[in-house]
Amino acid sequence: MAPISIDAAALLTSVQSIVPEIIVVATAIFVLLLDLAISEEKKHLLCGMGLLGIGVALFSVYALGQGRIEGFSGMIVHDGMGAFFDVVILSACALTFLMATGYSEWEGTHKGEFYSLILLSTSGMMFMAKGTDLMTVFLGLETLSIPIYVLVGFHRNRMSSLEGALKYFLLGAFASGFLLYGIALIYAVTGTTKIPVLATMLYDPRILASPLFLAGTGLLLVGFAFKVSLVPFHMWTPDAYEGAPTVVTAFMSAAVKAAAFAALIRVLLVALPGMQPVLWKVLWGLAVLTMTVGNLSALVQNNVKRLLAYSSIAHAGYILVGLVSGDVLGGQASLFYLLVYAFMNMGAFGVVMLIAQKEDEGYDIANLAGIGFKYPALGALLTLFLISLGGIPPTAGFVGKFYLFSAAVKNGYIWLAVIGVLNSAASIYYYLRMVVYMYMVTPDVEVAVPRPPRILFSMALCASAVVVVVLGIIPRSVLEIAERSVLSLLM
Amino acid sequence: MTGPADVIFYVLAALTVGSAIFVATLPNIIYAAVALLFTFCGVAGLYVLVSADFLAATQVLVYVGGILVLIMFAVFLSNRISSVKLSNPVHFRLPAAAICLTLFGVLAYTAISPAFVLKQEITYQPTTARIGELLMTRYLLPFEVASVLLLAALIGAALLSRPDRPDIPRPDMEEPK
Amino acid sequence: MDFINSHILSLMTFLPLAGAAVILTVPGGRDNLVKTIAAVAAFLPIPLAVQLWFTYDRTVAGVNVASQFQFVEHYSWIPSINVEYFLGADGISMPMIMLTTIISFLAVIGSWNIDKQIKGYMALLLLLETGMMGVFCALDFFLFYVFWEVMLLPMYFLIGIWGGPRREYAAIKFFLYTLLGSILMLIVMLALYFNTTDPETGGHTFNMLHYMQQSTHNGWLQGFDVRILLFLGLFIGFAIKVPLFPFHTWLPDAHVEAPTAISVILAGILLKMGTYGLMRISFPMFPDVTKWFVIPMAILGAINIVYGALCAMAQSDLKKMVAYSSVSHMGFCLLGMAALTPAGMVGAAFQMFSHGMITAMLFFLVGVVYDRAHHRDIDGFGGLAAVVPVYTFFITVAFFASLGLPGFSGFIAEAMIFIGSFGVFRTIVMISASGIIIVAAFHLWALQRVFLGPLNPKYAQLEEINAREIFCLAPLAVMTLILGVYPMPVLNLMNASLIRLVDVVKMVI
Repeated sequence: MAPISIDAAALLTSVQSIVPEIIVVATAIFVLLLDLAISEEKKHLLCGMGLLGIGVALFSVYALGQGRIEGFSGMIVHDGMGAFFDVVILSACALTFLMATGYSEWEGTHKGEFYSLILLSTSGMMFMAKGTDLMTVFLGLETLSIPIYVLVGFHRNRMSSLEGALKYFLLGAFASGFLLYGIALIYAVTGTTKIPVLATMLYDPRILASPLFLAGTGLLLVGFAFKVSLVPFHMWTPDAYEGAPTVVTAFMSAAVKAAAFAALIRVLLVALPGMQPVLWKVLWGLAVLTMTVGNLSALVQNNVKRLLAYSSIAHAGYILVGLVSGDVLGGQASLFYLLVYAFMNMGAFGVVMLIAQKEDEGYDIANLAGIGFKYPALGALLTLFLISLGGIPPTAGFVGKFYLFSAAVKNGYIWLAVIGVLNSAASIYYYLRMVVYMYMVTPDVEVAVPRPPRILFSMALCASAVVVVVLGIIPRSVLEIAERSVLSLLM
Repeated sequence: MTGPADVIFYVLAALTVGSAIFVATLPNIIYAAVALLFTFCGVAGLYVLVSADFLAATQVLVYVGGILVLIMFAVFLSNRISSVKLSNPVHFRLPAAAICLTLFGVLAYTAISPAFVLKQEITYQPTTARIGELLMTRYLLPFEVASVLLLAALIGAALLSRPDRPDIPRPDMEEPK
Repeated sequence: MDFINSHILSLMTFLPLAGAAVILTVPGGRDNLVKTIAAVAAFLPIPLAVQLWFTYDRTVAGVNVASQFQFVEHYSWIPSINVEYFLGADGISMPMIMLTTIISFLAVIGSWNIDKQIKGYMALLLLLETGMMGVFCALDFFLFYVFWEVMLLPMYFLIGIWGGPRREYAAIKFFLYTLLGSILMLIVMLALYFNTTDPETGGHTFNMLHYMQQSTHNGWLQGFDVRILLFLGLFIGFAIKVPLFPFHTWLPDAHVEAPTAISVILAGILLKMGTYGLMRISFPMFPDVTKWFVIPMAILGAINIVYGALCAMAQSDLKKMVAYSSVSHMGFCLLGMAALTPAGMVGAAFQMFSHGMITAMLFFLVGVVYDRAHHRDIDGFGGLAAVVPVYTFFITVAFFASLGLPGFSGFIAEAMIFIGSFGVFRTIVMISASGIIIVAAFHLWALQRVFLGPLNPKYAQLEEINAREIFCLAPLAVMTLILGVYPMPVLNLMNASLIRLVDVVKMVI
């Protein structure tokens, strides 16, 4: 038989399109090997190496720019959108590593595997965000999920950790199954898994109307909905978030959401605009349900991690509002919000992590009592992150929400905007509740003593705070980049 | 058309689905594992029927030879698993049944809908070489990503199963004396 | 100097913020330094306000004509959605800007005796001033909204941390009520945004003046009923702030729990934002709906006047009484505005200014007695006039000013409102006039119970009002008296604009 002919030039372009991913995977393997070579005292080097790798990867994204590089015969593409999400995901990963410098020391997660798994998961997210073939998207999803399942259960001695991991694993496996079945059904009708090709096929009304295709799209949507925790597919979220080591929770809340939304945006905006009338009604309902259930459940939580978990569900709903709008403004708003959300939510988790003495009990909301005055810097930072999550100006959270809701209004989804804004108002109650505990409640016993943050940890918090404030006041350049990213998608 | 192929199809399908029902309902985990064996074999037979020879072989090698044996070992190695009365409380039977039936209905309806892209002529040719070629060319990226995925799974499995360092006590899960 | 002249409104808005930033860098324990910095930062806008006062051209109106705004600063801020940094002043905002500088400075001085977390307190107070100033200067709706919200959080913290025993409840109630209002405003703002275009660029705009100019175009916001909904959204948002019955229930709680200086700001400036919003935004943007809505507005105003006064009469807590008297006085503003006559409108704006000063005095005075006696129960005192004559003098002046005695600015304002509105809705005005009698009654009754009659021996040693407190009160008292005799300085400032405002609303068919 004929030997396989390889086009060297095409292969080079292909490799070019995944340089950041290659760097991340290489760093993961390097960290794993380095773990064997160094002594117990020097384990912090692992974290440093990881950070270095992320830095290089970020630089490579910058060097690649926003130009369109297709690779591997249309399996993956590095475009504006891919670059944007690479930056979001890598930033979240970098923040995780910066915070892990402290966390690992307290909770004993200074292990090569820990860092290596985070990096592998990161690479999966990046593949997912850049995948232009449903197969790449699926494999990226799995590559991001499996390390996260393990990381959630990292504390094998904590029941909550194991419970969270098991629940997440079982439901996550189901979700993957749904997604895969959806892809299979779509393939059965169209004969392709390539997102751009799908887009052209869907001009055919016979395909659009076929029940097989509708079922496939529905299953696909369910799979994504699990990953971004849309109601009613959100059941795992609070348990997994509560059980996971807090750095991992922070990482999950920001990065997994970004990656899954990236793929969802690509699928919805590129492949499925033809399904507007039906699909958009479903998304509308999901957004309303997600915002409302997330916020109402968060109102009654007393565990800070669970509270932030429900708040993260609600935020998935807000971001979905941008997708329901379904135009460039909406996509741009979603992108901007995902970026901002990564920083503000991880910042909030970071502060909470310092305040909580240990996992589980440490995250009772009463533990925040009196923190505000005893530790003004921590109090101010957490307040800043919370008001940003609540969407109060002049923070980046406000600009993001404003964009999301204005996109909804612009496209005639007035009620969606009204419901979203009301939800946002309700959410302020529980964010402020944490603030009330910090500043207005006198603690029953004595004020909790937060752990002294390491320099790198403080850097992570400060960087998040700077992003939240700066993007709140001068969001212009990032908004423009987000707009270009969405436009690059629709080209 | 009705021919021997159809008969074989229905037999295999019945084997697969029937064993799968047993897997889900049998209370004894060993029996369930054995029933799973028949499911896997039935699926492998279905692959043969659509001339996917490579897939059929892989199905037998990986699922029957690998995964099923792994499950058996896991069952044998975890002592006490057969003696402990495992009973999960079942809530919300009715809503769950309703949802499952709806989902089943939807999927069944779509399965019989005539929208499948059908290949007109079936050629019985060996597929292995072609698959190998595609994995190295068009599907190079998924192939490589899958290896990253497997690496992650490997690290995770090692991490979760490795014994703890002795200096860290495991309060929740002490062995009964 | 050029820089100061061309950025005078920005400077007035952000100098307090800069002060707050400086305060945060002061190391702990240097309380006096913090207070001094705060006082300086709050004082600096006053000379700038004086500069405004002298350079403001009183003959041009502003309101809906961009070129007639003064001290304008106009820059692009978020170009992708055409948000602008657009500040400017006209006769509607000028008195409010003046009032804000004065009251904020006095509030800082009045907070001198705060000892809990003074750094945070002063920083938040200055941030609050930035927010208030911004609201009165902003001519871009987005910017207006941002400042409006920025003001919310410091207020929440100031009540929630430095307040009285039920401070958490009061703070969160204040916050949620106001937030509900701003959310309605946000939705209206979005709806306006997508229905208005900038004539120069063709893109959507947040520029308030474009809204006003296009409000008379045909087909703007298709349909009268849509406009009614939007108007109502804004109206409720502002009514919560005023506060109008039935959205007023946060006010007594917030006032009772808030520390003295914060009550002063709350009553002196924040409440005026509601009526300011109606004048600046609702009326000129929805002139047709405004005309359709005057009777309900007048009725609401009358309810506020009478109901607020009755509630005030029923209070035994001096501060609560003053708080409800604010509800009553703000009702006059609404009544005057609803009349849509020059006299009514000017009276309403003058009432905003005058009530800002009078109510600030009242809350300061209540704070003085509370600091000394640690309670505010009207019946718990008695015969204080003999012990603290100077204090009694000030409170008598303030009460007389508040009940609208001729010779004080409150009288002029209320008289103008009645003159302006009597010809328009007679019955409502006559009912409202009964409110004046109740207002007078409860003021005098309270005065009698606290200061006259037999001396309560518990307070025989009550400390006299001190120099710092007099420093806070004297300027307000003097201004109230001067404006009561010769109100023209302030009336001149706003006449042109308010007459234009009336014209803008009336001209629409």
